[in-house]
Amino acid sequence: MLKGQVSKKKLEETIPYLGLDLEEVTEDYLRIEYNPNRPDFATDYGIAKALNSFLELQTAWKDYNVSKGKIIVKVDKSVQSIRPFIVAAVARNIKLDDESIRQIIALQEDLHNGIGRMRKKVSIGIHNLDVLKPPLEYLAVEPTFLFVPLNETKSMSMQDILTSTSTGREYAHLVNQFSKYPLLRDSAGGVLSFPPIINGELTRLSSSTKNLFIDITATDLKTAENALAVVATTLSDAGALIESVKVPYPDQSLITPDLSARQEAVDVEYANRLLGLQLTKEEMVKSLRKARLQSKADSNKIVAKVPGYRIDIIHPVDLVEEIALGYGIFRMELSFPASKAVGKYNPLQVELSRVRETAMGLGMLEVVNFSLVGEDLLKNAGIDAQLIRVDKSKSAEHEVLKPSMLPTILLTLSKNIHEEYPQKIFEIGKVFIKKEGVIIEEYRVAGAVSHSSANFTEIHSYLSALVRQAFGVQILTKAAEMPPFIEGRTAEIVYNGKRCGSIGEVHPEVLQNLGMRNPIAAFEMKLSSFVSS
Amino acid sequence: MHTLEKKVLHVLQNSQSATIEEICIKAEIGADQVRRALEWLKEKNYVEISQQKIFEIAIGDEGRKAVAEGLPERKILATLVERKIASLQDLARLSGLDEGVFSGALGAARALGWIEMKKEADKTLVLLKSIPPPTDDEKLLSKLSRKPVLLESLTAEEKKVLTTLSKRPNFIQLKTIQIQTLKLTDAGAKVPVEVRIENEIDVLTSGIVVSGKWKEASFRPLNVEEQAPAIFPGKKHPLQNFIDEVREIFVSMGFEEIEGALVQSSFWNFDALFTPQDHPSREMQDTFYLAGEQSRNPASPPILQSVSNAHINGGGTGSKGWGYKWKLEEAERTVLRTHTTCTTVRYLADTKPEEARVFSVGRVFRNEKVSYKHIVEFHQVEGIVVGKNVTLRDIMGLLGKFYQKLGFQKTKFWPTYFPYTEPSLQSMVYFDNLDKWLELGGMGIFRPEVTLPLGVKNPVLAWGLGLERLVMLRYNMEDIREIYGNNLNWLRGASLRR
Repeated sequence: MLKGQVSKKKLEETIPYLGLDLEEVTEDYLRIEYNPNRPDFATDYGIAKALNSFLELQTAWKDYNVSKGKIIVKVDKSVQSIRPFIVAAVARNIKLDDESIRQIIALQEDLHNGIGRMRKKVSIGIHNLDVLKPPLEYLAVEPTFLFVPLNETKSMSMQDILTSTSTGREYAHLVNQFSKYPLLRDSAGGVLSFPPIINGELTRLSSSTKNLFIDITATDLKTAENALAVVATTLSDAGALIESVKVPYPDQSLITPDLSARQEAVDVEYANRLLGLQLTKEEMVKSLRKARLQSKADSNKIVAKVPGYRIDIIHPVDLVEEIALGYGIFRMELSFPASKAVGKYNPLQVELSRVRETAMGLGMLEVVNFSLVGEDLLKNAGIDAQLIRVDKSKSAEHEVLKPSMLPTILLTLSKNIHEEYPQKIFEIGKVFIKKEGVIIEEYRVAGAVSHSSANFTEIHSYLSALVRQAFGVQILTKAAEMPPFIEGRTAEIVYNGKRCGSIGEVHPEVLQNLGMRNPIAAFEMKLSSFVSS
Repeated sequence: MHTLEKKVLHVLQNSQSATIEEICIKAEIGADQVRRALEWLKEKNYVEISQQKIFEIAIGDEGRKAVAEGLPERKILATLVERKIASLQDLARLSGLDEGVFSGALGAARALGWIEMKKEADKTLVLLKSIPPPTDDEKLLSKLSRKPVLLESLTAEEKKVLTTLSKRPNFIQLKTIQIQTLKLTDAGAKVPVEVRIENEIDVLTSGIVVSGKWKEASFRPLNVEEQAPAIFPGKKHPLQNFIDEVREIFVSMGFEEIEGALVQSSFWNFDALFTPQDHPSREMQDTFYLAGEQSRNPASPPILQSVSNAHINGGGTGSKGWGYKWKLEEAERTVLRTHTTCTTVRYLADTKPEEARVFSVGRVFRNEKVSYKHIVEFHQVEGIVVGKNVTLRDIMGLLGKFYQKLGFQKTKFWPTYFPYTEPSLQSMVYFDNLDKWLELGGMGIFRPEVTLPLGVKNPVLAWGLGLERLVMLRYNMEDIREIYGNNLNWLRGASLRR
């Protein structure tokens, strides 16, 4: 497909500068990953087209002509409240082999998953045109309607397709809420597809298929037209002749596909300013040509003809990027912007750093835990708070935002029962509390000591030293009762008359829940009481 | 003869043979002192030393995991308990086991008669037969999880179970322990030993200092060459150490650090970044939404208006927009931020700077299945430069300098795609020790659809990168979970050298 000899090494060097990721290089192939904004890169045709321009192997422009076709797809008003839009095209004289079929299916899947939003917004059917008896009709039918879906031998009702085929189950949620389902069929009753679920077996492609019919159904017309432009352009690049299809709706009539280029202009000075370059208009036109965009200078602007498949270009800034790509990112020299700015740490982080350093000076080892924890962990630690949950977590260990630092501190110690004692640890982090309907994030420090005789007095010494050294103030401890501590060996931490934390000896029941043998004395304290943030 | 020699000989003459540990206790001296004395005694031909090997069985990492979470075959069973029957694929998925582990566990559960498999149409179904009490495997594992045991202390049955358990990778650790047994030679037995408790000071106490007793006594020599027992300093977590390194670099480059909340509205996490409301990254698959929470009025009415207009039709930014119906309810959904970019964008909206250099480091969240590659929370550093004349070349220069300060001399930039920057680049950094280029961070210029609706007129250079990957590379880690594993052995030993 390349219009010239290009060494593999040259390809390896060039491909990343087109915005493509080279995932794997072997003797026989290069595996390339492309970004979702460029579905036209889903096939070799699209990538070859870009390389031919970038390496200036082919500089002539190809016009994407659409000849007038005779096929009509009549749109019945019954689909209006279900899946209202359909656009279509015909591609004739195409030579398919297994590889090109695979690539076209890859393009189709990519459009489904990307701009098609998992077929919700757009779904595409590609059919063998020669078995069809036009005109076609797009309408909604009863779920009991029978036809033979792709890869099946018997006819099935649409409702059975949704429950007993794997594709049906995967996409059933897109139509389940409707009392009728969309259907595309020909004048003889042959079924092309049950969009957005599955095609009919009737129109299956094979390597002997020469003429294609493409249908795209959608909930949004513009997106459907964009997807059709990408598909039709790719088929044209693969050698097909594209023919239009007439699509009469109850209230309007469309002729699709529209492969005409639209105009988009970019200001020369704007482009140079963003890129930090001083390109002339001619250089910009040349750069755009290498990015496969035809353009010309018009006073202080560059006007580009943007073909229909470039659905990613929606703002002049997108042309600026094309200029940079065509110019060559590797040619752009690095610069360092002058500035009078003086760097500055965030004041709150400065306070946290001081707490951290003080704890370290007391011989405590810093640990780092997750904010999302499992509910079981909180239960085991005896924590009973109003929980803030996430929806549909993929893991049971990460379901609720922790309302306290102690559970993960205890978890840490429980995971280290085989390490040497004494163990002295601390953590600085956020907890999440719901107060009067508002979620509050609060920075706290927690610390613990564990060994065969760890006790209240010891941890009290650590806490007092920490507060005294880090903030230069004294805290008080007032007897209290709260989990996970032992009654009578628990206190609330009080500063300036306000409660700001808890301290105590961890209850043996909690130790046992966590499989621990050594006593733990621990504290947890909020830092906002000492820090003005 | 040295006092130490005398003490050891004295013990041996009274007990014929003993281990080093036994001598330590009876002679009341340290193991190293015993060893030293034995060397001397051996040379004098008073003592014979014989070696003996014994085995200690301890639980391995996987074994410990199995005790906590259940053996893989138990997990299969647990999955089946609710539904009694499931297809092979469903079961594999629901059990959450890796493919290799799953098939092994399935075989084991079947061999134990817990489950039955039958073919139906083109599917294989798995049926629950019984919920058995703890197996011998599980009993032994739980015993080992309490403390290591000596092989010789196991019963014959337990030894059989051990053989099957040790076929599972990392379930069991076998340690060989060398034991030395000491015996007196005939000469050694006849040597007269007089262990005299001389006027020797063992522990110097304040009483001895004050009373002046030390004047008449001698000090028992200590073995000053022996290894000291380990103590461990208080220390920063290696991840925090790296975060602080990154912060220092940006501050040294003239950046101001900012802070932001982890709980955000979708508006700031997505909409303000021109991410369409039906964009795949906004789905629950990838993003944590807080159950039953809604962030009412996420921004001021003019900002809501201008941002939504940018989505709908470009709203005067020169863009076509996304051309769809924008919904406030969608923007009000509460999320755990998926990137730190929401913090910088809120800063832009609040201060509308003409010039600025700002960065932040913080946690971000993704709804991932946890594995050696993925965790649900990790850290990002994110920064912006605002200025009338800032350019794409500037951001390459800034990031190049940043990587240089981190110790990477070679950097190159490739174009890429992000929804909210244009042009967009990714940085490739060369790792000398791996002889490899690795992709590290993304960057670009915020799209006008992002900045203009917030009232920011000048271009904004933006970049971000994840920190855990660099920490893994620094500590040769292969499993990202280890960073948050808080293994004290690792934390105590990890060097904080930068």
